[in-house]
Amino acid sequence: MRIRTAGVVAVFALALTASGCGGDEPAVKDSPKAAGGKLVIWSDDKRAAALKPFAEKFGQENGVTVDVQAISKDQQTTFVTASQQGSGPDVMVGAHDWIGNLVQNGAIDPVQLSAAQKSAFAEVALKAVTFNGQVYGVPYATENVALIRNTALAPQAPATIEELVATGKKLKAEKKVSELLCLQVGQNGDAYHLYPLYTSAGGSLFGTTAGGDYDPKNLGVGTPASIAAFEKIKKLGEKGDGALKRSITPENSIATFTSKKCAFLVSGPWAITDAKKANITYDISPVPGFAGGKPAQPFVGVQAFYVAAKGKNKPLAQEFVANYLTTPDLAVALYRAEPRPPALTAAFDQVKGTDPDLVKFQEAGRDGHVLPAVPEMAAIWDPFGKAEAAIIGGADVTGTVTAAAKTISNQIK
Amino acid sequence: MTWFSRVGWRHLVALLAVAFSLFPILFVVSAALNPVGTLSSTELVPTGASLTNFGELFSRTAFGRWFVNSLLIAGVSAAAAVFLSALAAYAFSRMRFTGRRVGLLALLLVQMFPQFLAIVAIFLIFTTVTDLWPGIGFNTPWGLLLLYLGTALGVNTWLMKGFFDTVPRELDESATMDGATHAQIFFRIMLPLVSPILAVTGLLAFIGTINEFLIANVFLTDTGSKTLSVGMWGLVAGERNNNFGIFCAGTLLTAVPTVLVFQYLQRYIVSGLTSGAVKG
Amino acid sequence: MPTQLPGAGPGLRAPRPGRPTPARPRADRPVTLTGLVVKIVLLGLTVGIAIWAAFPLIQTRAWTGLAILALTTAGLCYLYLTRRHVPAKYLVPGTLFLIAFQVLPVLYTVSTSLTNFGDGHRGSKQEAIVAIQTASVVQVPGSAEYALAVATTGDPATGPLVFLVTDPATGAVSAGDAEGLRPLQDGAATVNSAGRVTAASGYTVLNAGQVSARGPEVAEFAVPTAGGAIRATGLSRAYEGKAMRSYDPGCDCVRDATSGRTWTADPANGSFVAADGERLAQGWRVTVGFRNFARIITDDSISGPFVRTLGWNFLFAIGSTGGTFALGLLCALALHSPRVRATNVYRVLLILPYAMPSFAMLLVWRDMFNTDFGLVNQLLGLQVDWFGQSWSARAAVILVQLWLGYPYMFLVATGALQAIPRELTEATSVDGATPWQSFRKITLPLLLVALSPLLISSFAYNFNNFNAIYLTTEGGPFPSDNPSVGATDLLITYTYRLAFGAAGAQFGFAAAISIFIFALVAVISAVSFRRTRQQEEVYS
Repeated sequence: MRIRTAGVVAVFALALTASGCGGDEPAVKDSPKAAGGKLVIWSDDKRAAALKPFAEKFGQENGVTVDVQAISKDQQTTFVTASQQGSGPDVMVGAHDWIGNLVQNGAIDPVQLSAAQKSAFAEVALKAVTFNGQVYGVPYATENVALIRNTALAPQAPATIEELVATGKKLKAEKKVSELLCLQVGQNGDAYHLYPLYTSAGGSLFGTTAGGDYDPKNLGVGTPASIAAFEKIKKLGEKGDGALKRSITPENSIATFTSKKCAFLVSGPWAITDAKKANITYDISPVPGFAGGKPAQPFVGVQAFYVAAKGKNKPLAQEFVANYLTTPDLAVALYRAEPRPPALTAAFDQVKGTDPDLVKFQEAGRDGHVLPAVPEMAAIWDPFGKAEAAIIGGADVTGTVTAAAKTISNQIK
Repeated sequence: MTWFSRVGWRHLVALLAVAFSLFPILFVVSAALNPVGTLSSTELVPTGASLTNFGELFSRTAFGRWFVNSLLIAGVSAAAAVFLSALAAYAFSRMRFTGRRVGLLALLLVQMFPQFLAIVAIFLIFTTVTDLWPGIGFNTPWGLLLLYLGTALGVNTWLMKGFFDTVPRELDESATMDGATHAQIFFRIMLPLVSPILAVTGLLAFIGTINEFLIANVFLTDTGSKTLSVGMWGLVAGERNNNFGIFCAGTLLTAVPTVLVFQYLQRYIVSGLTSGAVKG
Repeated sequence: MPTQLPGAGPGLRAPRPGRPTPARPRADRPVTLTGLVVKIVLLGLTVGIAIWAAFPLIQTRAWTGLAILALTTAGLCYLYLTRRHVPAKYLVPGTLFLIAFQVLPVLYTVSTSLTNFGDGHRGSKQEAIVAIQTASVVQVPGSAEYALAVATTGDPATGPLVFLVTDPATGAVSAGDAEGLRPLQDGAATVNSAGRVTAASGYTVLNAGQVSARGPEVAEFAVPTAGGAIRATGLSRAYEGKAMRSYDPGCDCVRDATSGRTWTADPANGSFVAADGERLAQGWRVTVGFRNFARIITDDSISGPFVRTLGWNFLFAIGSTGGTFALGLLCALALHSPRVRATNVYRVLLILPYAMPSFAMLLVWRDMFNTDFGLVNQLLGLQVDWFGQSWSARAAVILVQLWLGYPYMFLVATGALQAIPRELTEATSVDGATPWQSFRKITLPLLLVALSPLLISSFAYNFNNFNAIYLTTEGGPFPSDNPSVGATDLLITYTYRLAFGAAGAQFGFAAAISIFIFALVAVISAVSFRRTRQQEEVYS
């Protein structure tokens, strides 16, 4: 028993030494907190890199630490979950169509912008971040798809989709290209890229309320107009012209264009970097609609900064988002990190001289629809995309669209 | 054809398997070398050969840091996981106690819960932990290590228990007769005998940790504290951007530590048993 | 191979004093010195860590946490200083981690299955009310946009806060606190070009760092005015705002100030609902009993395709596990011979698929099966739409799993083969058995003893292999008349789509389906596990 007692004594002696080493740690950790506060910003990886220098500058000017962190995947859910538990950031960067879900979870606060600040933004950008009458984020870039064409293969911008298909077929017959059009579909469809054609053919996702907001109760999918629209799209599909194919996927669409296998690409500003890298001579024009159809309206998306409702340092976050980000310099720098049209009119004007593509993209998005931010939109993407893929593959239109509409309305309730 | 039936078929099987293993990887190599990065070229042979993507990987991302973080976390957690699960496997294999089989089964079943649901609970736990002990909270390798140790018992214990079962009982019985304690039997007799499987388990745990994404993604948000899989995912998962070339370069480099660890462990895996010790 | 009656071996049943029957002599030599030292150091470290961990718990008065910590530590010390409970000594270290980071999350998940936890219903009612009120704050029409300087009449870190606001139109400076707004005399404050007060007599103007250090306080601070209240937007601006919606505890409802419309709390669903059924987006989390479970059974979009999905799920799990095992074992056998040269090189090349990050390779494989651009069709000269037809898609995902998983089985089988004494196989070949016979009769049974637990756990893993489907086919191809369940959907990917595909995530519902699947797998595993008992007892 002596050994045992000795053992217990030794254990505690050691324990005290060990805890002595570790004991002062919390005190050390506490000290930087007291200094001046800390601002934590979450974004995706690309923007985190672009933001860092500006965030640091903001930190120096105000005597605070700014920490820019990147969430690699599932930014939105991670943000909502983390916020709810109190370990989220003070400022979040993300697409404006998150707003509906973020608001229903009480994850973000409205941003109070002065009238002067509001007027500095492009109208569409401000409209996108306005939800239920409140401005919920500060937009910094807009984006929409356009038709990018290889001018070496197709010098003229097609006025209608029929013209595009004819040019494509001619080029294919001459063995200059292997695909008529690079518009990503994939096995499960891609509603975002198809939307201009869908609207041109007369389809819609939601009706609108008197105030011009989307009305989730008034579903546009499954209506006779949407069935007629999909009939037109089916004619472009694999069993028809072959302009839309499921084998064109998000992964290979841009690459197929840059390797000169197709003359037309429907994509956004993010595709331009690759086209330049591959030395393609290109031009940008609006996505053409069907002959005699409605105008082809792409979705307009906006990237925005949000103030987290459960952030630890809201005044600092508001200062950063509402007062610091509304200066054109930062918008220009973010543009240089990734060439998407800045939402601040002043910044846009500053860069449009050196980058004619911006104006063309903006032109292509002029008739665009702001991407709906209502939470119900989440229920649309998946069934709509699958219906699109099935129809492009040759499935019966009425049955497919009706089934998709049923699934969507079950989810929305 | 005796050469074929003794040795030749072995080479044939191995070569076919190697071909099967390698051809998708060739594809990755080709994409990594292609300056216009894409995952979807139709050619197996690289169309352009340049190291641009590798250069960009290091200049544009914190790849070096991710690499070190991954090695650290995966190395430590693999070692700890092997030790913890060897302890448990020994008990499960050699001792008879109430709740043994139920315990084994529970160990398996607890793994069955989808991790994407557990994320919420992990946030709950670690928000408290971060408040109390920031040293082992979010954005620290130690917190992530602890979390990984929670999964250490799962599959590994099952794997090792199977192997412990194959070691004849006479060995430890005679040792017990000689007056060895259970700890001595475990450390001096069992562990050396099953060293091949310790090495295998270690390697599997190492690879598993390097590849783990779901938890690391929510746990590590500082660019500097990320692991390879999280950082690499960020390269392709950013909204509709196209970093496939860099991504493939990173994928290839990620495999390097695993191959090195395997090379190192291979001698244990192969030489493992001094078969003389076992008389069936 | 002698068999023993269970329990006749070293009797380590817990209830008995944990002393093995034949080990009487051990009492004479209780512990070795090394053992003792190691034990003391490790326990010392444990207690040390516990003491380190206790300080913050004491600081924050988390007495429950402290009690758990103390009990765990005391339990550990007792366990390793006593001679009893030998199995526990081996099981406890791993189990502690398992409980903290696996069992607790699972229990938490189980508890959410009885709630409506999900997007729109994540927090408490109080949080929902705060969110509704904050979301309704609008600027009072016609009010000024103030330039703001935060000041105090006392110490910068603790003194009472005062907002010094400048009306840009008139340049008039006022000081505001909880009492309200009162103008400062002309000349009492120095104002910079942007209109912000930089100094004022009687007040200490805080700099940005000092303000943000008191961030939460500043965020809460409101100066009441006739039309609403002046609040800060950031550090440099203030506005006069008013919450248009407020909670009235009297009627347990939210009322809109302008329209007078009310939304009454519905405690059964955790929402505020108006008379016409309109629901406020911000809800809260409530217990809904077994409603989630009932939905699984009654919703025919879930129960309808369930049997077919379950069947494919089994096929996938068995196919993946069996295929990888067969191929892995074949390779391991082929290389398990001293006569084969360059085995090291082969081995390294064979494990490469496993060394590559699996999510990256799943994406690569998905592209290889592309109809027009995929490598598979190019090499074979085919025009097959692999992921477009049910059975080709199923074959493809199993092939991908085979590629990803066989190196694992190869490694394990190699380890297992090494552990089989060579004498055994050599003895049979002396007896004239063909290699195939000796494999069937000697090697395979031995391997199965070692590997069957692993095969079960591998089956269980593949049964829930989310990434294998989600990163390749995403469950597709989908029948054109039902976009909710596809030909390659596993129960888990199907759950994921149901739970997260709607207008926001539905964690409670997903948890309920998981419990359902869990129960199913538990039964299957328990039954097949029962069959391993025989094999196990051969050795024990």
